[in-house]
Amino acid sequence: MSKETEKKVLTTNELLNHYSDSIKNGLNNGTKYVDAFNRLNNTSDKNDLLAAAVELTNYQLNSDFVVFPHQFSDADVQLVFLERILSLSGSKGLTIINAEHVQKLLCKFASLSDNTFTFTKSSKNPTGFFFGPTDYNRPLFYLNLKTKELMFHGSALIDYFVVDLEGTTVSDSKAALEVLLKVAEILKESFGFKIDFNVLDGVNGEFYEFAAGEIPEAIMDELFVKSADNKFILMADQNGGASLTLNDGTQLKVYNSGNSDRPKWGAAIYDADQKESWLYLLLDYPFIQEWYLDNKKQLEILSNQFVFG
Amino acid sequence: MDRKTEENQFSQNDTILSSALKQKMDYLNDLNESITKGDDLKIYELIDPNRYATEANGETLSEAKPDHFSLAADLNAQLSHHLSNKLIDYLGKTYPFFYYHEYELGKFHIYFGNWWDHRMFGDLDPINVRFNFSEEEYQILAKSFQLELENSRVNDAEMRQLGEENEKLTQLIEDQDKRDRRKEEIRKQLKENEEKSPMPWEAGKVKEEHQQLSDALLELTNIDEQASNSRPKIKANENKILALSKEETILNLEKQNIRASFGSFDAFNENNRNLYAKYIQNLAEESQVSDGE
Repeated sequence: MSKETEKKVLTTNELLNHYSDSIKNGLNNGTKYVDAFNRLNNTSDKNDLLAAAVELTNYQLNSDFVVFPHQFSDADVQLVFLERILSLSGSKGLTIINAEHVQKLLCKFASLSDNTFTFTKSSKNPTGFFFGPTDYNRPLFYLNLKTKELMFHGSALIDYFVVDLEGTTVSDSKAALEVLLKVAEILKESFGFKIDFNVLDGVNGEFYEFAAGEIPEAIMDELFVKSADNKFILMADQNGGASLTLNDGTQLKVYNSGNSDRPKWGAAIYDADQKESWLYLLLDYPFIQEWYLDNKKQLEILSNQFVFG
Repeated sequence: MDRKTEENQFSQNDTILSSALKQKMDYLNDLNESITKGDDLKIYELIDPNRYATEANGETLSEAKPDHFSLAADLNAQLSHHLSNKLIDYLGKTYPFFYYHEYELGKFHIYFGNWWDHRMFGDLDPINVRFNFSEEEYQILAKSFQLELENSRVNDAEMRQLGEENEKLTQLIEDQDKRDRRKEEIRKQLKENEEKSPMPWEAGKVKEEHQQLSDALLELTNIDEQASNSRPKIKANENKILALSKEETILNLEKQNIRASFGSFDAFNENNRNLYAKYIQNLAEESQVSDGE
């Protein structure tokens, strides 16, 4: 016999009270959930919205005595948050398309016709989620509302917007990307999120580091020849680098930011509006895109290996 | 004869010697003064008075002018460095596509253009105001200009040949399925052939058929082998084509730049031949302007 049963023998009355307390707790837990869910869905206060989404993520709704058969997943909560934070900021660039049933929620960008996107949970971080196209297992960005982080995945963004969406007009692709940039901007400005813009960073001089470290001269030769075919001249720059002046004075520089022992080749872009990012450049200049794709193994832009790896 | 008469047989006396030495000292003084005053025009006259008179000023000399440059010839590098300053400024305006790198005191490499992988085109000689183009690089450019008249390019033939070879190799790879099907057929025919038990008078024919089929099969497997080796070959050819297109791109830029500054390759060459005279005239005009101020 165990000590507990020796010590405590519950009466019928106690047992029944225990039962009703458990149900009450389960129901209260449900009420709390509903309250948070309503805030997620209805609040017009951004801070309240973020707090509700954080609260609902990993919410243990079921208990031993009360089970709710229809539940939204944690990933769904992130998507509702995304749509709502955009709409609170006046953007209608992204809409959830299948909220009629409780199920895996999908969304669409206004400019990208039938392509759907969704969140999936990270297996490494319990509060981290990947956002990506439903049909491809490729995260375009990582979002963690709790740790306040958003990281874009450079090569996945390029693979999707440049390769998979080939045939989509540049302005439609950019309209969808602007929505993502808007999200990042809101999160940064309203809540102080840490954002890794990666290939979407338009700030002048942002260094897009190539995967290969060292770039064979033949790859630069190819850029030189392709540029000349398009009436742009790749100029020799300091320390073995090169620079290319494009339309409207936009300048692309390719150089080694390391040294000869530890080469770290990459690219930087300078433009008057500080809007041109590596991804936009690839969309805007098909010959640079072709050059990148021809040499993708070497030129791929690195993303956070720990989060995405 | 006494010693005195012997010494005087060349009418040598100290006055003459002294005057010769004085001339040399004057020369070095003049050179020194011109350098301190930055009078490059005078320096060029002192370096080669005969060329200066004939080439730059169009004089006809009945006899050669005294030339003392050998006195300063061991300062060639220093003089070259000094003269390069103004000369390169001048060349920057007249030959805007040339860039110079002083790789040793007074020695300059010429680079054609500042684009990617620009060519080292030879040396600049500031003392003689002369481009010493690298013969090989210059000849390629000359050839490119020449071929342009025939609507052709230096590397056209080689690029075409490599392109055709790659097309053939790609075809070999693409035809693999076709060959596999054909091999399957032949193997079946071979099997049928081997199962035949011919009458003695037919045996020769059957054997001959067997040989033909085996030969055909062997040929196809040979092609298979070629096909499987062709990918690296295609890649290597692509790299060669890239190198050749790069050369053509560079030649194009060079030609464009020469045309933009001189109109034609002939005019460019003509200007190079007269570079000394033109530069001296330019220095003369500039010194007049500054005198007038």
